[in-house]
Amino acid sequence: MAHQISIRIDGKLVKVSAGSSILDAALAAGKDIPALCHMKGLSAVGACRLCVVELAGVGRLLPACTTPAADGMSVTTVSQKLTKYRRMILEMLFAERNHVCSVCVSNNHCELQALAARLGVTNVRFAYSYPKLSADTSHPRFVLDHNRCILCTRCVRVCAELEGAHVWDVMSRGTGSRLVCDMNQPWGASKGCTSCGKCVQACPTGALAEKGWCVEEMAKQPARVSRLAVIRGGGQ
Amino acid sequence: MTRIADLSTFNTVHEDGLAKLLPPRPRIAVGMGTCGTGHGAEGVFHAFSAEIGNRGLGISLARTGCFGICAEEPLVNVWIPGKPLVILRKVQPHDAGAILDAITSGAVPFDLALCRIEEWDHITAHIKYGTGFEEIPLWSDVPFFKGQKKIVLRHCGLISPGDIEEYIAVGGYQALYKVLIDGNPVGVIEQIKGSKLRGRGGAGYQTGIKWEFLRAAQAEQKYLICNADEGDPGAYMNRNEIEGDPHSLLEGMIIGGYVTGATEGIIYIRAEYPLAVHRLQSAIQQARDYGLLGQNILGRGFDFHVSLVEGAGAFVCGEETALIRSLEGKAGRPAPRPPYPAEKGLYGKPTNINNVETWYNIAPIIIKGASWFTDTGSPRSSGTKVFSLVGKVNSTGLVEMPLGTPLKTFVYAIGGGAPNGKSVKAVQTGGPSGGCIPQEMLDTPVDYESLAALGSIMGSGGMVVMDEDNCMVDVARYFIEFTHSESCGKCVPCRVGLDKSLALLNRFTRGAATVQDLAMLDELSRMIRDTSLCGLGQTAPNPVLTTMRHFRHEFEDHIRAHRCRAGVCQDLALSPCENSCPLHMNIPRFLELYKEDKIEEAFLSVVLDNPLPASTGRVCQHPCENRCRRVGIDEAVNMREVHRYIADAIYASNRYPALIEQVRARMLPPTGKRVAVVGAGPTGLACAYYLALLGHETTVYDGNAEAGGMLRYVLPDYRLPKEVLRKELELIEAIGVKFVFNTQVGRDLSLNEIDAAYDAVFLSIGTWKEAWVYLPGTELRGVIPALPFLESVAKNEPVALGKTVAVIGGGNAAIDSARTALRLGSGVTIIYRRERKDMPAIPEETEAAEAEGAEMVFLAAPHRIIGNAAGGVQAVEVVRTTLGEFDSSGRRRPVPTGEVIRFECDTVILAVGETVDLDFVKASGLKIKEAGTIEVDRYTLETSRDKFYAGGDVISGASNVSNAMGYGKKAARKIDDRLMGAHRFGQLLPEFDYDKSPPSCPSGSGRHRVSELPALERVKTFAEAVAGLSPVEAMEEACRCLRCDARNGDN
Amino acid sequence: MTSSNEEIDRVIARHDGRPGALLSMLEELQQAHPDKYLPVETLDYLAERTDLPRARIFSVATFYALFNLKPQGEHTVCICRGTACHTRGSRDLLERTKLQLGLKEEDEEGSADKLSVTTADRQFTVRTVACFGQCALAPVVEVDHAILGHVSERTLDREINTLKRGGRA
Repeated sequence: MAHQISIRIDGKLVKVSAGSSILDAALAAGKDIPALCHMKGLSAVGACRLCVVELAGVGRLLPACTTPAADGMSVTTVSQKLTKYRRMILEMLFAERNHVCSVCVSNNHCELQALAARLGVTNVRFAYSYPKLSADTSHPRFVLDHNRCILCTRCVRVCAELEGAHVWDVMSRGTGSRLVCDMNQPWGASKGCTSCGKCVQACPTGALAEKGWCVEEMAKQPARVSRLAVIRGGGQ
Repeated sequence: MTRIADLSTFNTVHEDGLAKLLPPRPRIAVGMGTCGTGHGAEGVFHAFSAEIGNRGLGISLARTGCFGICAEEPLVNVWIPGKPLVILRKVQPHDAGAILDAITSGAVPFDLALCRIEEWDHITAHIKYGTGFEEIPLWSDVPFFKGQKKIVLRHCGLISPGDIEEYIAVGGYQALYKVLIDGNPVGVIEQIKGSKLRGRGGAGYQTGIKWEFLRAAQAEQKYLICNADEGDPGAYMNRNEIEGDPHSLLEGMIIGGYVTGATEGIIYIRAEYPLAVHRLQSAIQQARDYGLLGQNILGRGFDFHVSLVEGAGAFVCGEETALIRSLEGKAGRPAPRPPYPAEKGLYGKPTNINNVETWYNIAPIIIKGASWFTDTGSPRSSGTKVFSLVGKVNSTGLVEMPLGTPLKTFVYAIGGGAPNGKSVKAVQTGGPSGGCIPQEMLDTPVDYESLAALGSIMGSGGMVVMDEDNCMVDVARYFIEFTHSESCGKCVPCRVGLDKSLALLNRFTRGAATVQDLAMLDELSRMIRDTSLCGLGQTAPNPVLTTMRHFRHEFEDHIRAHRCRAGVCQDLALSPCENSCPLHMNIPRFLELYKEDKIEEAFLSVVLDNPLPASTGRVCQHPCENRCRRVGIDEAVNMREVHRYIADAIYASNRYPALIEQVRARMLPPTGKRVAVVGAGPTGLACAYYLALLGHETTVYDGNAEAGGMLRYVLPDYRLPKEVLRKELELIEAIGVKFVFNTQVGRDLSLNEIDAAYDAVFLSIGTWKEAWVYLPGTELRGVIPALPFLESVAKNEPVALGKTVAVIGGGNAAIDSARTALRLGSGVTIIYRRERKDMPAIPEETEAAEAEGAEMVFLAAPHRIIGNAAGGVQAVEVVRTTLGEFDSSGRRRPVPTGEVIRFECDTVILAVGETVDLDFVKASGLKIKEAGTIEVDRYTLETSRDKFYAGGDVISGASNVSNAMGYGKKAARKIDDRLMGAHRFGQLLPEFDYDKSPPSCPSGSGRHRVSELPALERVKTFAEAVAGLSPVEAMEEACRCLRCDARNGDN
Repeated sequence: MTSSNEEIDRVIARHDGRPGALLSMLEELQQAHPDKYLPVETLDYLAERTDLPRARIFSVATFYALFNLKPQGEHTVCICRGTACHTRGSRDLLERTKLQLGLKEEDEEGSADKLSVTTADRQFTVRTVACFGQCALAPVVEVDHAILGHVSERTLDREINTLKRGGRA
């Protein structure tokens, strides 16, 4: 067993095994740092930036999911500045695509929505982009709706790292970034897709969903996918 | 070809190389970097090649890299044995014959010579070329090169980059040889650490420490990467370094490999640099052939391989983790650090990444030692850095200076300031990750810490100079547009945050932004900086944050006045000319109306925009021409002279009374409001005219007996005949403006009385007080200030002027005084303390004065005035000055030399500037600024006292007629807004019927100039010196307009 | 028209099919195509032969500005949008060129980034580049791979008209 290190989270001292991330350590201290791209068992990418924390003695903010905990660290996970920034990130995600909760299959089961409620995001101060985006309904069991996608890449990683199919990736760059199936082909036509559905279960929003559900009906089980990934030894 | 395995073979190659570099016959080397070929160097090379062949001459011909002064390309080096190396500039293929003729007779064409080099310190070797040709300046005396210290660029432009033997001839691969023979890698790392060499890619991390990490890392495979993905727009030093001297890079990397234990090096280079790729490929091949790369290097049993990978166009790959992804064949999305590349880099192996320029410093440090390196530069930033000096500077190119050199040295001493006499506004350093440093802060030394303190960074060394024509909001928008399109899209703050920043900045450039938007932009920028994943996102807001910090007023102008002073934000202006005109005359409209042969409508359009079109048509400084797009074809449209022509033609015709009636018909109904205007100069007249049109009862007070202010009492008749002004005043009187003359407010009438009698008061008293220089002898009879002198002449009062007059000063008042004195029969000498180009006077006026016989003495500061026994003036003594440091105005400060010159004269006219009469201002109870002007709100022209407005010279200091009138017009609009609580100004203008489409084929005719009377004739009289355009000329000028107002898709 | 499979095989062989050589392979394949682009069929075949995930190849091919997924025009006018060029008026040159070739905003691909538009008759492709590194020559335009420095609206008009008439730049 790896040796133990001590780290202070919001003043509370916890012991975790060396190699743990700050996010793991915070969890051990009972602190649930907001995050959307992170999923235990998958590689950490540090993309959503919601989990940034303050570290004593370090001028800049650090993402909790990718920063290893080190002996003697003192971490602040909640502050006025952090909350302000986290709210802005959520506002940005809402403004970027067309997140209309009232007509979404994942309404009330959506991690984005839940975080917004938790952090008190009641309005969006940025101009909405209203991009014209499509939905891919070509797969017999699943559907991809780009309007709800936040580019967290959990689906990309679960497919490549756990299922080994690597059907998903992100094409283009910047605001043009889109989740893409194979060579930008309809999902239903993918030769690599095993229809395992892990991507759907991992997706934090209504972007990937099972067919046949109505508004508010699509509850997902990301924890099960995560457990499976951890058992397979992923994310190290 | 020899494979070098021991000292004797090394020496043989060295000798072979020297024989090529300094052959026993003349050698010509053409600068064939991309900047050279872009200027036609290829053709020059072929011309030499053909001519040498045809003539059968014994002359060597070689290709070399760029010597750095890109503005003078194509550059050609000529060396004749025993003589210095001469660099020729701007050589064209047709020059080849003459150059060869000169060489065969043992000379060089001096007219093409830029500089000569007698000996050159290659750092790793010393080359003596020879002496002679002393007519040609030494390279170190050419302003562009003065102070440069070439360590990185030690070989660029002097050796042939395609020939490894020439590189070895100047000491190349000696450092590698030394390192391999010594066999002490730790010692080398200590040396690099001791030199305090910092990464030249931007972050400035110490190279030696990075190497130490890599050496300490345990792995069977380690990698060295050279980052040549020079993506910063505005920076191109890496391209030049590689194109001019590829082997220095390889040598640095091989040494790095040996001391860190890496056996594989990869150069990641931009695909946009095909020539650099080609040069590197052939250099790698040559180094392999000579046993300097590959297996068993120099026979010392060390293996190191270098390969080349071309980037495919992604700025984010400058970020080391993204670069590694790219090398692994993936999309260049950065990964979080830790893990750092030194532990887990390329393919998970320990990796070191250094910028191109960092590698170039390695060999010199090894040969010369660490302390030699720290002797150059500042304590925390040692050595030199190559900067690309581009944008709005006269001499563009690559400049290598010791770190810590102040920015102004780059901009002014080396770059020669902004072209076309414009003023420098800012310098952008560090590309999209850097910031804009305002002109007032150009004293800042260029090093890592000083630039960071101003919110910018040194980055890879881009230095883009901006002048008054650049809008800083647009610059901020440009950089965000750039980073927005280069963002990889992985993390939310950068992907979405930059998109929202761009949307906000677009609101500014469209004039739709609010004060809340400014606050939001600030908050958003900080958030992106603090939370983004990689360096691109973390630094992307820097250009916005620095422009908001140093140029906040420009953002405010866009919000509050919907105005882009530089005229860049097109949605905020009708056309560039309209935007630069202080009166915002709709110039394209009157040109088009006149072109359509509707001269009366054209006059109406002119006169509703500007009540004094004939006067301003003569004396305006015509800022409208500065940004005329026609300059891209030939020269600016002569707009000023067209409205002068239109006005003159109408005044001379019998249609003027009818047109006055048409203007009266535009008047808004009486409002019952009373407004007082203090001062009947151009500012006051413009204000009163519009106030009356807007329906207010307007009264103008002036201490003089007639209206016109400086136009009437200072401008001499030969520039503006009095009858022209009188004709224009008819219109202002006709619309009901009341004048009260011989009444000076503050003296004859108190401000409180005025305050009680009017609903608003506009102060426009001008700058009538002559600034005084305190010199011994100013109390003498015969020393007179300029304005009272000009005023007396304008009033036909007798003036006591001697036979020889010395005018001290360089502004318009000095030139007007000189030309007036000449007309009164005196001999005139103008004495000015700076250079001619620094004179504030209109250049045409200065030239006219000179043609009329005025003597000019520059770089001479008045020292004392010597009197005669009768209490009059005997002579004036001046001290010669030389040009010293650049001051905050971007001009060199005159420094007295101690050499005194005496001019015999009997009159001295002091024209050293004018100021506001402070006594009046103090008495008025208004807040005064430090400069002695009245403090107003920039947007509303309101003073600190309720109901009181001020404009013109009293708020800006002495300026010119059109600026003054612009304030008057703006004040009328603001006063009306306040009195009536509505925006009514726009109602004054009728709908004009004219073609609003762009001309399919604008006239190809050149610019028409006005004709001046011959100097000897005009100097005898006060009659007008410059005749206007003829009707045909005016028409052709109107047809030259490109109609910037008619935009694609409009109307 | 696509590159022949033999050609793709040759390119793969030249790089021993190393995954790290993906960028170089794509560059060579695009260069070899007469219309200077990467058809989906080519990418598909490349995926098959190298065993790289198809989504990853597509991700790479769309990430870098250099790769084209659409056929390019016969002539390429590439306008530098570097800082030096911007301060010296390259935006006006871009607008002018688009106007002259009859290209409108809506023809542009994707978002405002890495502009690449081709005329309907496939005669011209107008692109922008972040910086040519020719800043001393600003503003710079590359017409069919020849760099032109200090370009004005007039000289650019002339170049394009020459090409329109079938001449060489």
